[in-house]
Amino acid sequence: MAWYDEDSWLTAAFSPKLSTIIVTCIVALVLPILLHGFLYRNAAATASLPTFLLVGPSGGGKTAFTTLTERNTITQTHTSTQPLTVEALLPSPHIPASAHYRSAGDPAFERARRFLLLDTPGHGKLRHYATAQLADPKTIRAIIFVVDAAALAEEAGLNEAAEYLHDVLLALQKRYTSATTSKGPKEIPVLIAANKMDLFTALPANLVKHQLEKAITEVRTSRAKALRDAGAALSGGEDEVDEEKEWLGEGGEGAFEFSQMQEIGTAVGVVGANVLGQGEKGSVEGWWEWIGENL
Amino acid sequence: MLDTFEVLTTSGVVLWSRTYVPVGANIINSLIRDVFIEERILPQPEDAGSKPTYKKEGYTLKWTASKDLGLIFVAVYQSLVHLTWIDKLLDNVRALFVGLYGEQLKAEHSSVVNCDKFGSYFDRQMHELEGASDSGAPSVRLSTPPSSTDNESADERAPAPPLLQKAQRPLYDTSADSTPVPTPDTSRPTTPAHSHLVTGKARPGPGGSRLSRRDKKKASAMSSAPVSSGDEASSKRKGKSATKRNRVWGEFGAEEQDDSVLDYSQADLRDGASENEAMEEIKQETWGRKTNKGEFILKDLDEEMDAIISAQNAKKEKEAMTTASGGLVGSSLGAIGGLFRNVVGGKTLTKEDLVKPIKGMEEHLLKKNVAREAVVRLCESVERDLVGMKTPNFTTIESTLRTSMEKALTKILTPTSSLDLLREIQHTNATSPRPYVLSIVGVNGVGKSTNLSKIAFFLLQNHHRVLIAAADTFRSGAVEQLRVHVKNLHELSKREGGHVDLFEKGYGKDAANIAADAVAHAQKNAFNVVLIDTAGRRHNDARLMSSLEKFAKLAVPDKILMVGEALVGTDSVAQARNFNASFGAGRTLDGFVISKCDTVGDMVGTLVSMVHATGIPVVFLGTGQHYSDLRTLNVGAVTRLLMS
Repeated sequence: MAWYDEDSWLTAAFSPKLSTIIVTCIVALVLPILLHGFLYRNAAATASLPTFLLVGPSGGGKTAFTTLTERNTITQTHTSTQPLTVEALLPSPHIPASAHYRSAGDPAFERARRFLLLDTPGHGKLRHYATAQLADPKTIRAIIFVVDAAALAEEAGLNEAAEYLHDVLLALQKRYTSATTSKGPKEIPVLIAANKMDLFTALPANLVKHQLEKAITEVRTSRAKALRDAGAALSGGEDEVDEEKEWLGEGGEGAFEFSQMQEIGTAVGVVGANVLGQGEKGSVEGWWEWIGENL
Repeated sequence: MLDTFEVLTTSGVVLWSRTYVPVGANIINSLIRDVFIEERILPQPEDAGSKPTYKKEGYTLKWTASKDLGLIFVAVYQSLVHLTWIDKLLDNVRALFVGLYGEQLKAEHSSVVNCDKFGSYFDRQMHELEGASDSGAPSVRLSTPPSSTDNESADERAPAPPLLQKAQRPLYDTSADSTPVPTPDTSRPTTPAHSHLVTGKARPGPGGSRLSRRDKKKASAMSSAPVSSGDEASSKRKGKSATKRNRVWGEFGAEEQDDSVLDYSQADLRDGASENEAMEEIKQETWGRKTNKGEFILKDLDEEMDAIISAQNAKKEKEAMTTASGGLVGSSLGAIGGLFRNVVGGKTLTKEDLVKPIKGMEEHLLKKNVAREAVVRLCESVERDLVGMKTPNFTTIESTLRTSMEKALTKILTPTSSLDLLREIQHTNATSPRPYVLSIVGVNGVGKSTNLSKIAFFLLQNHHRVLIAAADTFRSGAVEQLRVHVKNLHELSKREGGHVDLFEKGYGKDAANIAADAVAHAQKNAFNVVLIDTAGRRHNDARLMSSLEKFAKLAVPDKILMVGEALVGTDSVAQARNFNASFGAGRTLDGFVISKCDTVGDMVGTLVSMVHATGIPVVFLGTGQHYSDLRTLNVGAVTRLLMS
């Protein structure tokens, strides 16, 4: 049967038959609905909640804090190898700063209490998950740098934490200095969450701050003295003139203080808490309060 | 005995665990660190028959992973005990867990998996496997108390799992002689068929078949009570589990039909086996009915468990089958869809999809002078990473593979700890009267002395007092060469600050003694850094390499760097390995200096090969002829070069 025959499908499709009309109607009605459903499902996934990025050296208690915030109970955790995103609700006595005027029954109030916690692995080899987020912090509302306050008492632990923190702050500073608008990028506050305060050897919060400032100063000076890296030598060869290195804080001179970071739109706070207590749940009220202030 | 069994996610959350003897969390942490992150210990390939093992502090850990769901299953037991059934347990538990909670695990933005009742499945699985292994060992059977067998209520048994159950198992053996306990090997393929037959026979049987089913349910509700928290919850859960079983059962049934259609040859065999199995099964059931009702619940759970496990296995087989041979229409449609998805993205990657791109990637890396061994490992890890993953929107397989490979290269090259030499020197000088001792080893002609003097120049720039020890007492001209370097550096140090001197004892002396003397000399004369140059040696000459052990013992270097040239090809792996192993127990290399990087262009594969062989980071790169041509590693730049 050729296409020009009387009863071929093409003739039927153009003739005023009832079946043709019905099929046309069905197609015309169903197709938009399907398209809508498809688009709606895809778009719904990207509805953005404010994200709090958890960084810090391995063994600080990032995953433990994540699960505590999500479930309100403690769970056993091990070294992470993959990032984890968790949707959480700010616990009830704490009120998000953006919704402090809302009444408790308001659905918008409930919505404002939701946020995402993005837990990243802290192991030296796996920090690229965190640095990738820092390079393009569009959805990041704030950064929580979780650190083991007991490990800071030892030199190795202090150095590791300070170097990581230095890199995080430097990434934030680069983002600020390389911004093209006059207004500057939105502020990203940093909380240094000193964990494991229940341990006997843990440093108190103000000492954590002091030690980290001192260690970051040292990191900065040793970075200044260190050899250049091989980037330019390997790829270019001729352009030996390295792009100017950037120094954390006020031109990299003198002692580093966290208050210097105010200039680049990053307020640094230090709050001590403990995720785990003596076998039971610890208290992290201080961190939640901070999250509430920045939510 | 098994000490601990844990189910954890790759993001570090423990979903479910069963502890018989408490084991420190650091044991599993070090497994994750050493095996999954640093890949220091390479797991044997899966098809070697047994699961990979990892030993730490007297414990043996075996694990298996479910890549697509990001799960790791770890079993920990004392190394003294030899447990043969752990592999089987891991396999079964994985199938069970994935079958029961796979849906929950896929939920986005959540780490919560409600798996409180997994305990009963696990216990049952344990009993079965332990029982199977015990039946072969009469000594264990003798040691169990005979009193605990007969009048045992289900409630009592649940909280005290292994011992009592062990006593139960042998009884099976005596009552039904002809292997009533399905051995691990046979149980997997046959159980689906046999459970099918069992239910079939039970229905036409004497009137009480329905009653007995109800009894089973009642009894199971009773037994799950001690495991779960409260009565209400347990009954609710019971309902849930029943529906779940039905669903899996239906899925499985369909599976069975497919199998029989596609593969006639095996169906015969299977039927024969299943009939045999069914006979024994009935015997067991009658025996169980006589003694107590408690037996039934366990049986019930057992069936459910077997159904889940076999469904999982069948699913796997089916996946393998569909890729091999689909229907005519299905395959062509699939091919078109696959092509479309390949462009648009959203395709679930299989091993077959990846074969060609990975082959291309392998060749690309080989061209970049990466040793074959390292290439194979990288490609395997990338494949492991990607199989079962969905490509993101509007990305092809190739670009997905590229990003994954970049990630793998970054991971392998990034050092675990800080490599700040100045900081270390400062720390050592502050804490001990001994100077900081750095020694350099390597094959002949790679540039040991040149890189040593480059490091000396760098230290002089930072105003250190450096003593260079000429411990190459073998090659003529070696000491004179260093003397020239020291003279040059001395001139430079006048401008830059710092102080440099040479410690030499001529030729023919023992290098280790000279090194030790140099350290003593430096300590006396307030040098704070000692750099020791050694003779070049061929890495596969055992006689020359053996002297390094004595050297490490006498000189006690704080840091041993090995110089490797970027020009070397496949041999780099063997060089790195042999040097790393030559310093005796407890001492390894601390880093590599890769020299002559300026001569290879973008073929910097040697870096990857050396780090791959040992897991030791690259500290410096030599990039030219001048004293200042020493650089630290830039992981991003090297990765870019390798992928370009």
